[in-house]
Amino acid sequence: MADSARTPDLTDASSVSPFESKLEELARLSVELLRQLRSNAIDPKSAAEYKALAAEVASVELAAELQQELERERDENAILQTVSLKLSSAGELRDVLRVILESLAQVVEFDAAGIFVYDREFGQIEVDMLSGYEAAQRKKLYEKFQESVRSGEGIVATVVLTGRPIYVPDVRTDSRYVEVRPSTHSEIAVPIAVRGELIGAFNLESDHVDNFSERDRKTLQTFASHAGVALERARADRMRQHTRRIEEELALARRIHSTFLPKTMPLFQPYDLGGMNFPSSEVGGDYFDFVPITESDLGVIMSDVAGHGVAAALLMANFRACILIESRAHYAIRTILSRVNEFLVETNPPDSFVTAFYGVLNRERHILTYSNAGHNPPLLLRKGETPRQLSAGGPILGVFPGVEYEEAHVQLQAGDLLVFYTDGVTEAENSGGEQFGVERLSDAAKRYATLPAYEIARRISHDVHEFQAQDENQDDLTLSIVKYE
Amino acid sequence: MKLKTREQSDVMIVELSGKIMGGPESVQFHDTIKQAIGANRKRVVIDLGEVEWMNSSGIGLLVSAYTTLKNAGCDLKLARTTDKIQSLLVITKLNSVFDSHSSVDGAIQSFN
Repeated sequence: MADSARTPDLTDASSVSPFESKLEELARLSVELLRQLRSNAIDPKSAAEYKALAAEVASVELAAELQQELERERDENAILQTVSLKLSSAGELRDVLRVILESLAQVVEFDAAGIFVYDREFGQIEVDMLSGYEAAQRKKLYEKFQESVRSGEGIVATVVLTGRPIYVPDVRTDSRYVEVRPSTHSEIAVPIAVRGELIGAFNLESDHVDNFSERDRKTLQTFASHAGVALERARADRMRQHTRRIEEELALARRIHSTFLPKTMPLFQPYDLGGMNFPSSEVGGDYFDFVPITESDLGVIMSDVAGHGVAAALLMANFRACILIESRAHYAIRTILSRVNEFLVETNPPDSFVTAFYGVLNRERHILTYSNAGHNPPLLLRKGETPRQLSAGGPILGVFPGVEYEEAHVQLQAGDLLVFYTDGVTEAENSGGEQFGVERLSDAAKRYATLPAYEIARRISHDVHEFQAQDENQDDLTLSIVKYE
Repeated sequence: MKLKTREQSDVMIVELSGKIMGGPESVQFHDTIKQAIGANRKRVVIDLGEVEWMNSSGIGLLVSAYTTLKNAGCDLKLARTTDKIQSLLVITKLNSVFDSHSSVDGAIQSFN
């Protein structure tokens, strides 16, 4: 505790402290000295007495100031500790910022305060916590900010753009000042930075001219760094939540996509059917299916949506629903593709599309009737003949309205092998940048031709995976096999 | 993907290079096409000579440029399509939709 004799007590007027009596004595002496000075007859005794007394008063004042300073520092430290404690308990950002403002109010006098975050990407200042502004002034503040960031005016905007603190002792004499509160006379703003990155500003306004001392400015900067920690933590939390939401969406889309694919292949003797899909790390857009239409007709679908992710999965869902409905309506194949195309043109975003092969296999006449809408042409492998590519049809689906699709037939023979695939097979690249290609695919299919359809698909997929360089840009890989036994 | 634009004989030429695989970088491409329409450029050539690699999402970019320009009454030609891009255009049967030329000058002349 400080010695009470050396601490000025200005609150209790009834008791006159020793300090006050000294001040009174000093005042009396100074009047006396002034009188002597005028009459040109200074008494050296009075002068010496005055000097001694003045020195004593000054030292007492200095000690009192030091004492106040120490007490304020102690208060500040205690308050900062409270703030730190609040920060360490992961609360809502607004609660933390409110505590910071309330705590600051205990050590620095101000009439309005704001914590602002700058969104560099969009050039916008967001207001995260305000105090001391009326509703109309808040509205004005929001409006002024968008203007001031663009024009480079305004104290907060300048701090946010330059990263340097600004103290304006009298706002009437500073051209950068943009008025929001008419009663404001002085303003101070300091940057909020996290690990060297400028993220916002903390400002205080006062109704008094030159209200903020050097010490206040330092205190504000300390509080600003605490606000920075809180804001950074909130940002990291938001990022985590966002990532989690995306992961959940992707997981859902993956589940949806996997339900599209056939779990078991229908029995369609004398044809043996097999197929498989390996989705990429993202959600894929490949879809294949074998759809029994009548006792003797089987629909064969192989398709690919440009793109990945949830949008591709949804487009695939659209396409699948549409072609399954149309294929059961007994239209000619070219009509089915035209109708699917029209539907997708209406519902598709402009830069996405579907490539699809659709065919109907008749097991009595052994004819495959098909139309290929911009899809990688399936291969027909027949012993002793060069592989045939089934490419007749028309362009990709979902882009051009009014497109007509060509239809073609192929007569199948016992021993024929049909290989349907997506570009993930032929465009798989090795480390030398070489693609798996159609030739490797048909060679592999020939090599495994004696195996069951499912096994052929599995072995080819294995070969593609072996061939492919281990990078993350792997596409979906989808293969299906129809074997006439 | 890298993108540069220039003008020649009242035709806007969009030069693409690198890997064209759609995704976030396609925004710049879409903006360029919109700018061409905004600036009343009726003729656009996309120069693909320096494209190293393109997948179906890249084809999606070309398709959307085509439809956007066509809907605005503008004309699009492709120039210097690489073998790889040409084979993608053949598979997707977009070779009948896109007018491809072996040189930029050839593409520009074909507008007349």
